Amino acid sequence: MATNTTTDNPIRELNSPALERGPLWIRDLRKASLESFNTTPVPPRGLHLWRYTDPEKFLLKNDVIDTAFGEHFDQAEEVELKHFEDGTLAGLVIDNGGRQIDVRLSGDLAQMGVVVMPLSEAIESHRELVEKHLYQTVNNTTGKFEAMNGALWNDGIFVYIPDNKTVERPIHLLREAGRANSAAFPRLLVVVGQNAEVTLVDEYAGGAPSTEDGFAYCNAVVELIGGQDSRTRYISLQRQGQGTISYLTHRARIAKGATMLTVPFAFGGSISKQNFGVNLNGEGANSKMVGLLFGTGRQHFDNHTMHHHSVGQTFSDIDFKVVLRDKARSAYTGLIRIDHSAKTCEAYQENRNLLLNRGTRAETIPELEILNEDVSCSHGATVGPLDEMEVFYLMARGIAREEAVRMIVSGYVRSTITMAPEDLQERLSAVIADRLGDL
Amino acid sequence: MTDAVQRQKDDLSQLNNDYATRYGFHDPVDYFHKGARGISHEVVEMISKMKNEPRWMAEIRHHALDVFNSKPTPRWGNTKLLNEIVYENIYYFMKPIEQQGKSWDDVPEYIRRTFDKLGIPEAEKNFLGGVSAQYESEVVYHSMREDLTKKGVVFLDMDAGLREYPEIIKKYFGTVIPTDDNKFAALNTAVWSGGSFIYVPPGVDVAVPLQAYFRINAENMGQFERTLIIADKGARVHYIEGCTAPVYSTDSLHSAVVELIALEDSYIRYTTIQNWARNIYNLVTKRATAHKNATVEWVDGNLGSRLTMKYPCIQLVGEGARGEILSVAFAGQDQHQDAGAKVIHAAPNTSSRITSKSISKDNGRASYRGLAKIHKNATNSKISVECDALLIGEDARSDTYPTMEIDNDQVRVEHEARVSKVAEEQLFYLTSRGLTEDDARLLIVNGFMEPFTKELPLEYAVELNRLIELEMEGSIG
Repeated sequence: MATNTTTDNPIRELNSPALERGPLWIRDLRKASLESFNTTPVPPRGLHLWRYTDPEKFLLKNDVIDTAFGEHFDQAEEVELKHFEDGTLAGLVIDNGGRQIDVRLSGDLAQMGVVVMPLSEAIESHRELVEKHLYQTVNNTTGKFEAMNGALWNDGIFVYIPDNKTVERPIHLLREAGRANSAAFPRLLVVVGQNAEVTLVDEYAGGAPSTEDGFAYCNAVVELIGGQDSRTRYISLQRQGQGTISYLTHRARIAKGATMLTVPFAFGGSISKQNFGVNLNGEGANSKMVGLLFGTGRQHFDNHTMHHHSVGQTFSDIDFKVVLRDKARSAYTGLIRIDHSAKTCEAYQENRNLLLNRGTRAETIPELEILNEDVSCSHGATVGPLDEMEVFYLMARGIAREEAVRMIVSGYVRSTITMAPEDLQERLSAVIADRLGDL
Repeated sequence: MTDAVQRQKDDLSQLNNDYATRYGFHDPVDYFHKGARGISHEVVEMISKMKNEPRWMAEIRHHALDVFNSKPTPRWGNTKLLNEIVYENIYYFMKPIEQQGKSWDDVPEYIRRTFDKLGIPEAEKNFLGGVSAQYESEVVYHSMREDLTKKGVVFLDMDAGLREYPEIIKKYFGTVIPTDDNKFAALNTAVWSGGSFIYVPPGVDVAVPLQAYFRINAENMGQFERTLIIADKGARVHYIEGCTAPVYSTDSLHSAVVELIALEDSYIRYTTIQNWARNIYNLVTKRATAHKNATVEWVDGNLGSRLTMKYPCIQLVGEGARGEILSVAFAGQDQHQDAGAKVIHAAPNTSSRITSKSISKDNGRASYRGLAKIHKNATNSKISVECDALLIGEDARSDTYPTMEIDNDQVRVEHEARVSKVAEEQLFYLTSRGLTEDDARLLIVNGFMEPFTKELPLEYAVELNRLIELEMEGSIG
């Protein structure tokens, strides 16, 4: 694990090839990020978002960054390739830890002017768009680990939907982390034009299946820009192996009249810290987050959501559900912030935690920061076991206890799963069934 | 914005605006002892010497000063205001008079007049079982009804408590709030003076409230009272504290430590009406331990001060213990009420409820900061938390920072929070039924505060309602 020598021995001394990638202006941004990473102290434990997770876990040993990534193949590849071939998907990107990025895009999308390509190519071919938005919503000022990604991302994905275009079928991004003792720094930039519409599935797979041979590391950054009146559905699916230490920061900024549906699914990783944030930056902007976390074994999750209303007459809603079993642990911090000038906003937030057995542990911190009076806000949080009355009701009808529990939990997670595109729902249900396996 | 809403704002901006005339006066005092500004081991030693304390207490103090010096200022909460405190500028010990009075006639006239104006002797006659009046660092008047003394109830100021019951104090002092709990608890432990010591023997019900009143008179004063209340098995007691201070242009510091110990089957209610002047930093640590089947209730009203950081806590350590915290905060111009509540469940079948109400007006900021924690062994425990915030004025700010840490699956934890302004629909509804606008507004604000006022002893509820009513009436027409 990361030791003090890691902090004393900054990654500056590493000759990571990523630092030299891209044209000069990108290399300058990387250098600035590296500088920021080196000079930003490790967040002190106990301070706000780091109260439940040790930041040292996300610092890497130098040799890990350098380790060859190796070939990798996740079972989802086959399924999603089929989905692309049979036309269910409009696009499929297989991103092997930023080492190799394969893009498949159906012909009609290319005709519409939709762009899906490795970030390294977009920097050259769509420089204006990339320069305008890259490092805008997540950058050095966001935090130490965001700066780390800003320096070390090898290659990323760029998605652009032109104004007034509707992409009806989902675009699937399959991001694979490496095996033990490797590190991946995925990066994604999505620009949705005015009045455009898209559904994106951003899946994080691979990683070390167990901690037997050491941890795999993944530090991802997602930036989304929703243009005026755009409609975006973004599904984040984290199902990396249970030997993976995973960090992800997501920031979306949506303009006037835009809607954004963010659906985080958190299933994978040994330690997984994810931060989803939407900035409502234009009148009538509407953001909804519907999240589901299911922890088993000794998994440790630390999730944040943030809705930042910087403009008035904006609406946000969060429904984040947590299910824990075995010795799994979840800390959830949700923040609603309404700026002084953002009048007449509505913001809601709900966090429900279902604990399936003793030994699980849930932390919930739903926060409000309201800087003007003309708002309507509420949040709620609950933590508790299964409702024994419901279990009893089903058992009284001849259903075995385990089956009854499965049915109740499946019902509990159903409303979140149905937020995903239909072709993905089957896989999600299978994950839930698997997690409920031997109750 | 309708006129009604505009006027609502005007009305509430008047709340406490006669503070200067009602509470803000100060006496020209010839202090019996006025130490130098600043804090050091010499100051600590001097305080201990003047009080003629046992050596073990002096050692606790010196150790606490080292802890205070070694701990950084909290990096959370209102760090801007916290960092503005100039510790060297504060008087840590001021002894107003040589001898404590047993009757008001024993108290020097200028001090008696102060407490007369605050209505303390009047309240004592009418409905209190005992009164302690602290002026700067020490209690200047203390008395308790004879029947309570006969029952064995001990109600003393803390200095007298240490003189008369050193063994009880040695046993419990700092056990609920250890010296190194936080920077301000350490400071209090180093320089504490005054406060109340209460012991209620097994089975005794102190049916009438005991009250302490804390008054700061001097500028740059630091008041560090220390309170320890022990309710023995099956005992019941209600303690009330109030506080005010003159208005000065420079800041004073009030940093109390309050420890409650509710033994088996006992009941303690602790009511605070905090109405410090707006130049006072109020950084207080309050914590209770509730043993088997005991009940502890904190009723905590914060109206005054510049910055309050106070989170009354209940540790439920015995099976079946119950806790309730009712917190009301009112943040006006330039005020930050960082208040909240903490419940820690460390035994099975424990339950707790937190109700927080806050009003922010003008550029005031009210924050709720809380903790609801359930330990592994606290099976079948229940927590319910409800936070309501009312915002009045465009620059008002409200924050909610609750934390729930749940380490047991056989529990029920619920948290809810709402933030809103005074609804125009409500005003319209009431006015359309013939109420005048003032009455409608009054009704809405009083209704919002009602869960708090209904828990106060009648006289205090009347006083609080009167305070709100008076200010609101004052601005009409």
